[in-house]
Amino acid sequence: MARERVYIDADLLIIGGGTAGCLAAWEARQRGGRDLKIVILEKAFIRNSGCLSAGMNALNMYINQGTPQDYVSYARYDMCGAPIREDIIMSVAELVNETVALLEAEGLPIKKKPDGRYLNRGKWNVEINGSLLKPVTASMAMQAGAEIYNRVFVTELIKIGGKVAGCVGFGVRDGKFYIARGKAVLLAAGGCAGLWRPLGHDDAHHRIWYFPFNAGGAYAMCKRAGAKMVGFDHRLVPVRTKDTYSPTGTLAIGMGAPMINSLGEAFMRERPEYVKLGGHTAPTPIRAWALCQETLNHRGPIMMDTRRGDPERVAGLKGQYLDMSPCLVLYWGCNDINPSMDPVEIDAADPSLVGSHAGLSGAWTIGTSRMTTIERLFVSGDALGAAPSRFISGTWTCGRLAARSILYYIERVDPQLLEIDPDELDRLEVRTFEPLERYQKCTFYTNGKPIEGIIPEEMEWRMQFIMEEYCGGRSRWFHVSESYLSMARKLINRMRHDQLKYLVAKDLHDLQLAWDVINRLDVCQLVIEQINYRKETRYPGYVNRTDYPNVDNENFDCFITSVWDPETDELTFDKEAYEQIVPGDRNEESI
Amino acid sequence: MPPMVIPDKCDGCQGEGEPLCEQVCPGDLMMLDRSVNKAVCRNVGDCWDCMSCTKACPRQAIQTRLQYQVAFFPGKLIPLVGTHSVTWTLIDCRGNVERFVMKTLAGDEEEE
Ligand SMILES: Cc1cc2nc3c(=O)[nH]c(=O)nc-3n(C[C@H](O)[C@H](O)[C@H](O)COP(=O)(O)OP(=O)(O)OC[C@H]3O[C@@H](n4cnc5c(N)ncnc54)[C@H](O)[C@@H]3O)c2cc1C
Ligand code: SF4
Ligand code: SF4
Repeated sequence: MARERVYIDADLLIIGGGTAGCLAAWEARQRGGRDLKIVILEKAFIRNSGCLSAGMNALNMYINQGTPQDYVSYARYDMCGAPIREDIIMSVAELVNETVALLEAEGLPIKKKPDGRYLNRGKWNVEINGSLLKPVTASMAMQAGAEIYNRVFVTELIKIGGKVAGCVGFGVRDGKFYIARGKAVLLAAGGCAGLWRPLGHDDAHHRIWYFPFNAGGAYAMCKRAGAKMVGFDHRLVPVRTKDTYSPTGTLAIGMGAPMINSLGEAFMRERPEYVKLGGHTAPTPIRAWALCQETLNHRGPIMMDTRRGDPERVAGLKGQYLDMSPCLVLYWGCNDINPSMDPVEIDAADPSLVGSHAGLSGAWTIGTSRMTTIERLFVSGDALGAAPSRFISGTWTCGRLAARSILYYIERVDPQLLEIDPDELDRLEVRTFEPLERYQKCTFYTNGKPIEGIIPEEMEWRMQFIMEEYCGGRSRWFHVSESYLSMARKLINRMRHDQLKYLVAKDLHDLQLAWDVINRLDVCQLVIEQINYRKETRYPGYVNRTDYPNVDNENFDCFITSVWDPETDELTFDKEAYEQIVPGDRNEESI
Repeated sequence: MPPMVIPDKCDGCQGEGEPLCEQVCPGDLMMLDRSVNKAVCRNVGDCWDCMSCTKACPRQAIQTRLQYQVAFFPGKLIPLVGTHSVTWTLIDCRGNVERFVMKTLAGDEEEE
């Protein structure tokens, strides 16, 4: 079975050439000089990969007014005053405006006001023509002279004596076994979509908000390497345009369109139960919760009333969506919807796990170093936990800061490339290609399905079915309780322990899907156990614990972290103290 | 909004090492059907509708079609990619045509 191998050595090894990864490469070149060897392994093609691949129309983090402290205060408020890593968000907020200027110089069109300043959208956003956002981002990495390996799917980190030495993966096109070593490794392979069942089925099952090809690889690899993980007791339930799940900031912040129920009430502004929680600028989870409450109380469907929005801006709505989610414009055209005359229906979508948007999931990091609890392993972007609201511009910046910290680490510690035991490599090679090898031994039914195996999509459906029913999916109104979670645990663990040995992949494309299933199932364990551990409801709308519906500050005003033990498959839990850096009421915005 | 390849327009990107649509897809979905030398999306259900392939095709051979479970037939949305802008043509199900020119890169303000 021995496959052709590709050996790569780097000073800085970056896994995932996305928003964070590309800017990390750029910064590393600026600071590390010409001789630094920077390598990027990307499972797709760097110019069109990741969350930015469809384009975007706004950068959601920019200090248009106020100070970085005000931004931290906003991010904290928007997470219902829950503990967040203020130190990390602060470090990003201090540098974010400079980063945006760098990307503008690279060719990104940023909309301007008549006075020449950036056109802001609300307090913290700036509007862009972001159709080519990813090519522009990628060109930062290319001009930095990073050695880029496209179509290499990374499957596992290599750990030696408590340190991360590199990673392995397979060539999606060439089928080779890739072995990459780095003096430091930056894992920036995004968050996790597709743990729960989407609303659209069959040919619409990827009509979801989060980028479906970020399938939890970053989280699962960190977890398997023994890194401390945080924020899986939380998930983002995106309120988006119904059916296409396109972003709604354009409607809500951009033109001030309120959410209305079937009675025509702008309920966030008019109903006292929501007014007391912040009204139309309530924290993001609260707005998701309110939408669900209105629907459960038979006041749906819920719409965003574009008729009450700024008419000038409503007129440009289609254009704005073409820069980011063109399918919504076609959807309107096919369904006789004219958004300046008809309200736009919205919905709470299947949950996603993210670290840089309105989510908290990711690896725990030490101080502002971006280093995980495993030496030499750094994370950025959606892979970094407990520091929400970084978005695109903050993720670019976070990538830059990760690179700075890594270079400082290399300079200070002078790490050398580690020798990898050949037997360990053989073992990793077998593991990487296992589903493919299994398929080759299969016999087949008349319909072409393998008799001895389960294909990745069948396993994905089973996993989504379990998570939907027992871990609070959309059709369960995001409700969970100990009894349901114990069902989820039992079934997901059955899949992880006993079923993966049947997973087969017919070709290299399906081998990626097989690894997506393996990784997602590992993430499911984190989600089930961390939600179970947090016996309170701190983020209503995102995680509603019907058995513990209130906030319990005495026991849970802290971060919950866990470390996975490969011997027992158990998670060891810890509570990390929250450190408030920006003074003030956590449930108020400072400006 | 899965991509559908119109056979008469697609030439399989002759001369390219790898067809452009195949090169760009973030989900590794576009591929060349070697028997006819034309591109095909290997699993339309896995597509995220990013339209990278549609925009990259030099022959405008890829038509974006919404899943019928969410949208009526026969609306169309066609991008025409320029160096500093994209011109989008929306033809809704009633046959109404709208055109939008969206900037993509800074510079060359004169174009279109
Ligand atoms: C639909 C949507 C709309 C958004 N809208 C906005 C907005 O309007 N404004 C805003 O500021 N922010 C927005 N965001 C948030 C923003 O896009 C993210 O915060 C940011 O892009 C995350 O960056 P990242 O580097 O973590 O992930 P990505 O940019 O997705 O990069 C991850 C990279 O890793 C690669 N990869 C994944 N797994 C592997 C593997 N196993 N091996 C090798 N490579 C791998 C991927 O292909 C990808 O290139 C939006 C996000 C989404 C999903
Ligand atoms: S890019 Fe266009 S012409 Fe080239 S193979 Fe794809 S569909 Fe055919
Ligand atoms: S629209 Fe995007 S995800 Fe879908 S096939 Fe084309 S490039 Fe791939």
